[in-house]
Amino acid sequence: MRSRSLTAALFASPWTVSFAVFWAFPLLYSLWMGFTDYQLLSPHPPRFIGLDNYRALFSDADFISSLKNTFIFVLGTIPVSTIVSLCLALLVNREFKGRGFFRSAYFMPWVTSMVVVALIFTNLFERGGYIAMLARMAGLEPPVNGFLYDRSTALYSIMAMDVWMAAGYYMLIFLAGLKAIPDELYEAAEIAGASAWRQFVSITLPMLRPVALFIVVINSIKSFQVFVEIFVMTKGRFDTSTVVYFVYETGLQTQFKFGYASAAAYVLFLIIGVFSILQFVLMRRKEPVW
Amino acid sequence: MVIRRPPLIAALHYAVLVTLLVVMVGPLVWMIRVALLDKALSISGEVLFSGAVTLQNFADLFAEGSLARYLFNSLFVAAVVTAGNVLFCVMVGYALARFRFLSSRLTFMSIVIVMMIPVHIVIIPLYLICLKGGIYDTYWALILPFLVNPVGIFLARQYIESIPPSMEEAARVDGASEMRILLSVVMPLCKPVIAVLAVLAFITNWNSFLFPFILTSGDELRTLPVALALMQGHQAVDWQHLMAGSTVAVLPVMALFFVMQRQVVSGITAGGIKQ
Repeated sequence: MRSRSLTAALFASPWTVSFAVFWAFPLLYSLWMGFTDYQLLSPHPPRFIGLDNYRALFSDADFISSLKNTFIFVLGTIPVSTIVSLCLALLVNREFKGRGFFRSAYFMPWVTSMVVVALIFTNLFERGGYIAMLARMAGLEPPVNGFLYDRSTALYSIMAMDVWMAAGYYMLIFLAGLKAIPDELYEAAEIAGASAWRQFVSITLPMLRPVALFIVVINSIKSFQVFVEIFVMTKGRFDTSTVVYFVYETGLQTQFKFGYASAAAYVLFLIIGVFSILQFVLMRRKEPVW
Repeated sequence: MVIRRPPLIAALHYAVLVTLLVVMVGPLVWMIRVALLDKALSISGEVLFSGAVTLQNFADLFAEGSLARYLFNSLFVAAVVTAGNVLFCVMVGYALARFRFLSSRLTFMSIVIVMMIPVHIVIIPLYLICLKGGIYDTYWALILPFLVNPVGIFLARQYIESIPPSMEEAARVDGASEMRILLSVVMPLCKPVIAVLAVLAFITNWNSFLFPFILTSGDELRTLPVALALMQGHQAVDWQHLMAGSTVAVLPVMALFFVMQRQVVSGITAGGIKQ
């Protein structure tokens, strides 16, 4: 049996190596860097400076505003994209002609590259762009320089795009959840004379709770790390910098302050960790949250 | 469950569906429209309905030469990563599903943990590793870190656990080596999950921006998304060409998606914790 376990370890080795080199080591390495003044271009070797980076971060106005924007992004997109994708799922759940077509069409944005989506919307959000035109038609006054060049709209515009992109993906997950609800529940409700709305509130919603929480978890992990759209659309200007953008800017763009940037990355890592644990605890609870 | 609905409700349902269709697909149609626009036409709302169409923007991009290079980079990297994912994920998944070995629990735990770790945390160390390891700005940097993928292992393991081990045992009794069993018994049995894995790996890699952007610096190794994102930073934005490039970046995955819809959907609903 010894040779069998050797074979197994051999078969598992691609992962073991990959895990060690590209995950475990980087994780520990950046934890260590966060406690040093590591700077790529500095002449002296990195020194251990304890919690100095962390202290500095919380008095760094740029970091604080990045953190604030990240929270706005996460807390703003979660409810909207959850509700929108649930509505999409309900719309295409029942049998009707062309159902498959509509499902794939709504899912299409998710298959597109984030860079391409960001480029398309940069064009659409321009001063004389399509969305400005639509806004005018609706009787609204769009920002003079376009939606992405105005503090009051830039971040929200990017958030709206993000909802557009992810809605079809969460729709699919909701559809899988809807499929798992046993028909008998609805049949029983039908016999008891429950209205469609009543069935939705008392059967569909409670049965979808685990799926909805799953969506909230993956959405928050993803949204906390928003970067590409910021890089392509605004480069962090007009109050749109997020924590990962801050990490990129301080760590990899010009200054190469690895220690400082790693500390910032770890702050976000801890926040995501706390958030996820909180959500898992909620998921474990027996009684419905809503 | 087919329920006959009153025609008014059905009409309303379709009206909502079509409105949403315009919202969801509109921006992509817009991209293609701008890509087909003649330079002389300025981009404004009305342009959408004018008839004039030209392929000149695509011709320009290919004539300039670099687009072909970016296209090759994207294709090459995505193809190698996909092949690696298929081989390695099935290999590791097989080990986890069929063998009880020292540390098999630990291995499985590490996979689940990595699936939940946010990627931003390894941006800087990964950059440093590639730099110090001498693979920064080479194809290796675009390929090595992504060859094995935890979600893929997870999918493969679950699939292999669901198939009875009788065929492998028969091969073993016949004296086949374990490697032989993996390649000529397990792999063919895994075709459905391999299709899922391959499509997801290809689409994800083809579209990825962050790591290809960070791990390369020169123009030589740019993949399409990286090239597009950097193209926009330069001169006054030339939307016609930018959207033509974007169209080139999008059409292959769209085509792949339409052909392999089933696989994409089942992969996502089976355990798409991470993109």
